[in-house]
Amino acid sequence: MKKGNMDNVPVSTEKELAEPRSENAAQFVTFYFGKHFFGLPIDDVIEINRALDVTPVPLAPSYVAGVVNLRGQILTAIDLANRIGLNAETKKEDGFNNVIMGDREEPVSLLVQSIGDVMSVPSSQIEPTPELIEGVDVKYVNHVCKLPGKLLIILDSRALEQAENVNDSKG
Amino acid sequence: MVMEDDILKDFLAESKENLELLDQQFVELEQEPDNEELIKSIFRTIHTIKGTSGFFGFTTLEGIAHFAEDILSKLRDGIVSVNEDITTMLLQSVDYIKAILGSLEQTGKEPDDTAYLDFIVDLRNFAEKITKDVPNPAEKGEADRGTSDAESRADQDEKQGDTRATGQEQPTPEASDKLPEIRGKQTAKEEDNNKPKKKKAPAPPVSAHQLTETHVRIDVHLLDQLMTLAGELVLSRNRLTQIAGQLNNPDLMTANQRMSLVVTELQEQIMKTRMQPIGNVFNKFPRIVRDLARAAEKQVQLRIEGAETELDRSIIESIKDPLTHMVRNSIDHGIEPPDIRIQKDKPAAGILVMRAYHEGGQVIIEIQDDGAGIDPEKLKNKALEKGIITEDQLNSLSDREALMLIFQPGFSTAEKVTNISGRGVGMDVVKTNIEKLGGTVELQSEVGHGTTVKIKIPLTLAIIPALIVHSANQRYAIPQVNLVELVHLTREAVERDVQVIGDSDFYRLRGEILPLIRLRKALKTPEVASDNREEGMNVVVLNAGDRPFGLVVDSISDSEEIVVKPLGQHLKHIRTFAGTTLMGDGRVALILDVMGITSSMSMAREEHLQKASLVTEKGAEEERQFLLLCTVADDEFFALPLALVNRLDKISASSIELVGGKEVVQYRGHSMQVIRLENYLPISPLPEQEDYHLIVFHMNGKDIAFLVSRIEDSLDMAIEVEEHTFKQEGILGSAIIKDKTTLFLDIYQIIQMHDPDFFILPEKGEVVESARILLAEDSTFYRNLLTSYLGSAGYEVLVAEDGQKAWELIQEEDVDLLITDIEMPNMNGFELTKNIRANEQLKDMPIIAVTSLSGEDDKRKGLEAGVNDYQPKLDRDQVLAAVHNLLAPSRLEMAA
Repeated sequence: MKKGNMDNVPVSTEKELAEPRSENAAQFVTFYFGKHFFGLPIDDVIEINRALDVTPVPLAPSYVAGVVNLRGQILTAIDLANRIGLNAETKKEDGFNNVIMGDREEPVSLLVQSIGDVMSVPSSQIEPTPELIEGVDVKYVNHVCKLPGKLLIILDSRALEQAENVNDSKG
Repeated sequence: MVMEDDILKDFLAESKENLELLDQQFVELEQEPDNEELIKSIFRTIHTIKGTSGFFGFTTLEGIAHFAEDILSKLRDGIVSVNEDITTMLLQSVDYIKAILGSLEQTGKEPDDTAYLDFIVDLRNFAEKITKDVPNPAEKGEADRGTSDAESRADQDEKQGDTRATGQEQPTPEASDKLPEIRGKQTAKEEDNNKPKKKKAPAPPVSAHQLTETHVRIDVHLLDQLMTLAGELVLSRNRLTQIAGQLNNPDLMTANQRMSLVVTELQEQIMKTRMQPIGNVFNKFPRIVRDLARAAEKQVQLRIEGAETELDRSIIESIKDPLTHMVRNSIDHGIEPPDIRIQKDKPAAGILVMRAYHEGGQVIIEIQDDGAGIDPEKLKNKALEKGIITEDQLNSLSDREALMLIFQPGFSTAEKVTNISGRGVGMDVVKTNIEKLGGTVELQSEVGHGTTVKIKIPLTLAIIPALIVHSANQRYAIPQVNLVELVHLTREAVERDVQVIGDSDFYRLRGEILPLIRLRKALKTPEVASDNREEGMNVVVLNAGDRPFGLVVDSISDSEEIVVKPLGQHLKHIRTFAGTTLMGDGRVALILDVMGITSSMSMAREEHLQKASLVTEKGAEEERQFLLLCTVADDEFFALPLALVNRLDKISASSIELVGGKEVVQYRGHSMQVIRLENYLPISPLPEQEDYHLIVFHMNGKDIAFLVSRIEDSLDMAIEVEEHTFKQEGILGSAIIKDKTTLFLDIYQIIQMHDPDFFILPEKGEVVESARILLAEDSTFYRNLLTSYLGSAGYEVLVAEDGQKAWELIQEEDVDLLITDIEMPNMNGFELTKNIRANEQLKDMPIIAVTSLSGEDDKRKGLEAGVNDYQPKLDRDQVLAAVHNLLAPSRLEMAA
């Protein structure tokens, strides 16, 4: 399933899992930001939505891109690049995708550059986070998974949606 | 049958309306037992129900109505008079009738619950008993006849009930659980029939069918869903609008426009469905209060104010319990028993006020009683005893903080536990519940005078009208409650009337100095360099608490009704925003928190000042003022309240003329005296400059100006001056501001030193009035300022540093008039006023309350306490006019 067809599609389909499912496989929603390849556990993702209008919020912490309207519910949009310390290779502009994730009571929207596939990864391939990942603050990383030619960085949705200390973020 | 259905519907609707009134009427009746009209009105309602239920064959209903009517007819004919037992019985009848009507509405049948029959028996016995108490054979006979009637009916009904039972809705498990209990009580009571007065009133049946209050019952979740769907509809419409625009098909565009209108309307209407007047909750309280008061053996009069205030339905639901809790507390702990109240010179009946109003974009609900109040010392000791606080903490607690202890879990001050309250659960639950709604609870209490609990509920969930403005290409909503007016300044007006002092702008709006806050600056969005000077300026004049300010925005659009949605956890700490809302086009707009803007701006200012190590002001919020800082020679700083200044201007040195030994300038078509401060104060003289700054005052109908070399800055700060270091004429005191010793100018005195005749009104020959005024004011600065201008008007001024001292002085000295501050230590202005009004010799003393605020709440309190007038401290002309007016009658007396 390619980007573009994913608009407003609840992430619950399994049919793309053509590859044989091993007993202990975990599923991840994947997306790209710059050269990095990220994944979130499928259970943490509520839906994927192409470019919702982001209304900027002045005085907000720098990792907050603004707020978006998801069918009447106002969500905080988190700028993934800023949040995890990626060197912003891309400017904040339209065309970001919204990964709606986290707590169903108060979900947040994670702004990512482009959406990848839903991937099934055997548990055996999931490794602990190395001490350093180039350009990424590892406190937001749960695990990594080495794939042929690239590294899947599995993000910690709790850490991502956790509000930072109010005093730090006043700006 | 169809016709009968229609009649039934009409009957139910009408009865419901009437029954809503009955609760209230019965309580009124108890207070005015001789009100015949009231009895007749109640009688009519019950009579109609009885008649119609007979027509439909609703036997249980008819039975209850019959006996209730029986009792009422005796009241109407004056055979018996209203007492508590009768009212209780009648109120219970109303409850039963409601329950039956509720059942009729839902199932079309009367409930088959034996509790109803038991109640009929009870009611019959009661009616009989009343008759027995009044030995009148004729009446007795009638009652007997009624009784047998009902019995046969009841029997019949029981049979019917049995046969119906199968096809009917079963009572809820809860209801049937209660049944045996009610039954049990009932049997016990019937044995005790001869002394019905002592027995406990049976509880109304727990009915599965409650009477509905609105026309249609809708699940709130359904409304929520509708609202969300309307939002989606808006988004879909937007997409359609885009496509229509691309296709450029006029028909499609017209059709789409029409749909847009409908969609917007739809969205608005759905939002409105959620609003309800708070009266829906308040209306339940006359009954609750009555029952509680009766149980506590106290007399309570309930007053309801602002029942029309609208609140989101879900909030209304959630505040009912906390309100009940607080009303309970007021009655149980607050209001004293009648005998004690009489000892304390209070009316036997305590007054409980429930008040709701909108203020500053919030809904405020107050529960106020005039009971015993809460003693902070008692609370502290209790808290210590219970181990809630330590001894160290106890000593550092202010009275206000001590009062907040009541909200700690496990706290109860009641000496004994009653069945109403005092079990130590309560206020903490109230607080938690209110906080869940995002609200706050405040408690004010005065020992001996009563307690007020103030609940503030934010706009969250509520629908509010708001003004939409633009700044840096974004839309923002400003709650209309904060809005005073809109002002557009042309480029010329900006140049002429906007003053830049230090970092801040000020605009003189009809004589008042209005601080301006640029929204772009407040939001830290890029400032437009100079173009708004060219385009003119859009100023939204807002009221933050009591201090108006102007918000400069890029442009102003319409006002709209908006629904407030909360900000998420990442953003809710930003005080500048009250929430978000969805605009008609589906995009999000932020709602500005007007209070938040001012506090963040003044916080920013304070930070700035603290960096300059200012001796920070720790005064009460009410004493804050904008100060103007200026210099005459370098490094000699002077301050004066900006509110006294009429204009700031610049003149060239050459335009100063010398006329009759005084320096004047031509200013706006008049010649105006200018004062060099060094002539009256021991300071360095004004250096020679090409231009001077003028600080222009307008007093007593005339302009006069100070000549200074520079306007340095303006600050928003609390004024706390030290008066001894620089004690001299023309100086009110000194303070360290930004590391510099700054002298506070006594404008009045300096003007008088310059021109002793300045304050004499031209039209009245002799102005200097001789009267003694007592001034109670705790702030040195204001005390000196007021003394100065009262003195300059010729009054003799006695001063007191707080209410207690004023109270002592006023009893010793001969005083013609009192001017008092409100917030003072030891005894505040309200207490002082009350004391004076209660004193035989002093009770006619004219009293003016002065304040740096002009809050409606304070004003109302002041007038309630008995002040004659209420004026802002800094407004010399108004205060003097008030003094003059209040002294006028006594002057006449003296002349006569």
